[in-house]
Amino acid sequence: MSYVEATPLSARAHRRRILRRRFLRRPAAVASLVVVVGSILGAALAPSIAPYSPDATDFNALLAGPSREHLMGTDDLGRDTFSRVIWGARASIQAGFFATVLAMVIAVPIGLVAGYYRGWLDTVIARITDVLLAFPFLILAVGLAAIFGPSLLNATLALGIAAVPPLVRIARGEALALREEDYVRAAVANGANDAVIVGRHILPNMASTLLVQATLTIPAAIIGEAVLSFLGLGVQPPTPSWGVMLNAAQPYLNEAPSLAVYPGLAIVVVALAFNLLGDGLRDVFDPKTQR
Amino acid sequence: MGVFILRKLGAALIVVFLASVLVFGGVRAIPGDPALAYAAEDRDPEVLAAIRDKYGLDDPLPVQYVRWVGLAVQGDLGTDTRGLPVAETIVTRIPLTLELAGLAILIGTVLGIGAGVIAAVRRGKPSDYAATTVALLGLSVPHFWLGLLMILVFAVNLGWLPASGYVPFREDPVENLKHMLMPAIVLGAGLSAVLMRQMRSAMLESLGADYVRTARAKGLSEWTVVGKHALRNSLITVTTVIGLQLGALISGAVVTEQIFGIAGFGRLTVDSIAQRDYALLQGVVLVVAVGYVVVNLLVDVAYSLINPRIRVGGGST
Repeated sequence: MSYVEATPLSARAHRRRILRRRFLRRPAAVASLVVVVGSILGAALAPSIAPYSPDATDFNALLAGPSREHLMGTDDLGRDTFSRVIWGARASIQAGFFATVLAMVIAVPIGLVAGYYRGWLDTVIARITDVLLAFPFLILAVGLAAIFGPSLLNATLALGIAAVPPLVRIARGEALALREEDYVRAAVANGANDAVIVGRHILPNMASTLLVQATLTIPAAIIGEAVLSFLGLGVQPPTPSWGVMLNAAQPYLNEAPSLAVYPGLAIVVVALAFNLLGDGLRDVFDPKTQR
Repeated sequence: MGVFILRKLGAALIVVFLASVLVFGGVRAIPGDPALAYAAEDRDPEVLAAIRDKYGLDDPLPVQYVRWVGLAVQGDLGTDTRGLPVAETIVTRIPLTLELAGLAILIGTVLGIGAGVIAAVRRGKPSDYAATTVALLGLSVPHFWLGLLMILVFAVNLGWLPASGYVPFREDPVENLKHMLMPAIVLGAGLSAVLMRQMRSAMLESLGADYVRTARAKGLSEWTVVGKHALRNSLITVTTVIGLQLGALISGAVVTEQIFGIAGFGRLTVDSIAQRDYALLQGVVLVVAVGYVVVNLLVDVAYSLINPRIRVGGGST
């Protein structure tokens, strides 16, 4: 007698398979993931993809419209807009990712400590968060960027710090709710220390919420970088950035409208993709919230 | 009710105090010597010393802070680098931004509520998909790009509206509205997108509720059911969303005013940063923080009046 041995699936692998299946059933989420991966690859491979160097000038084609040589036209110095849009993705993706990572690294431990230990420390942290939330995200970022000085690195730092307060609030709220769960009580009864409880039971259970928040913070930071650069507080010309390009396009709205169109289109496509991906992930992790 | 308001007021005062400390400290952290900004071209050490003495720039920071707050409470925010009183500058700039924000909220609410209700009533039909898609796009389009596109289409190509500038309402109401229309649409677009999404889900919930079924069973017309019963209960959401969107509105105003050349409050913020004008900047940011806290307080109170359940359970953060 023979029997087929069923491959034992660990609970975690099983859950992962379910999540993957749920994700693949959402065309908008899958499409946005493709766009997100594509834009990251585009930014990384800019030197080999872009037809021209972002600084190469073509004085025979100043403010030219779209043509076979210059797919999206050229700017006032004859630089190829298509190439600059591709290179500009670097600043946006860099700012988006690193600002989000920075915000997470600062916010999550603070929120965890506040929500898990409660007490006076929690009160202090909650109050400070309230105060910082009194400053709108972009205003805070603009102020910090003014303090740090204009550059991509400083703009990223400013955006990352400005994104901290809402994330602290979310991490704290999650920790507050999770510490009341039965499995946390069981761990306490078993004599587990705080590090084990927070590291093994609380953090993993809020990971999906944090992942969704991170995916939604990235587009905010990408738009933030564009705004800071547009206002002259971020990336400095001649380095290509979508915000810088849009700022430079303003005097030429008459002669070369395409200058103002394509960098903005790039921002919208990338920001929309991240937003859709975040929405999709939220639905995947928490089917109850499905519309 | 009184206790609820007092507690909210107390929390708001603490936030305003901490915000003022933060503003003061933050402005001091901006690189550059304020005395040099006041002195403009004059680098004479004696002049600089006189300026430091006049504005008390050598006093310990806590002393400077207390002096600043003491005067600020009386409505005196000091003088900027051009020697103009900061409070007066702010007061002259605020009406422009308030008009812009008011129009933006008006446009955003009308569009957002209308589209949200239509999408919910016609759920799953093409008009629902159209409204939902446009709203999703609206969330991802940055203000300044939408502004540039509108200038491109309506000012440069069609020539219908002026690309930039401001005309006071009292001088010429028509020109005023012409100048304000594009900026208000740009600023209201994001709000309408958020509101549309919230309205749609709130309406869907209301339309599935028992009281709506009862209203239908009574034989009321669809118009009455949707307009009177479902819509009214969904409107609570709108108050909250507008309160929450205020921050986005303020940051949006900074960018929108920059693009359309409106010398309002947002423009003042950017200019004060660019010119390293300490007194002006800290006055501007303080007003933003206080305004934000006050409006949120009003929203909290309004909300508790509309929905008494908040008063009982709320209050904790």
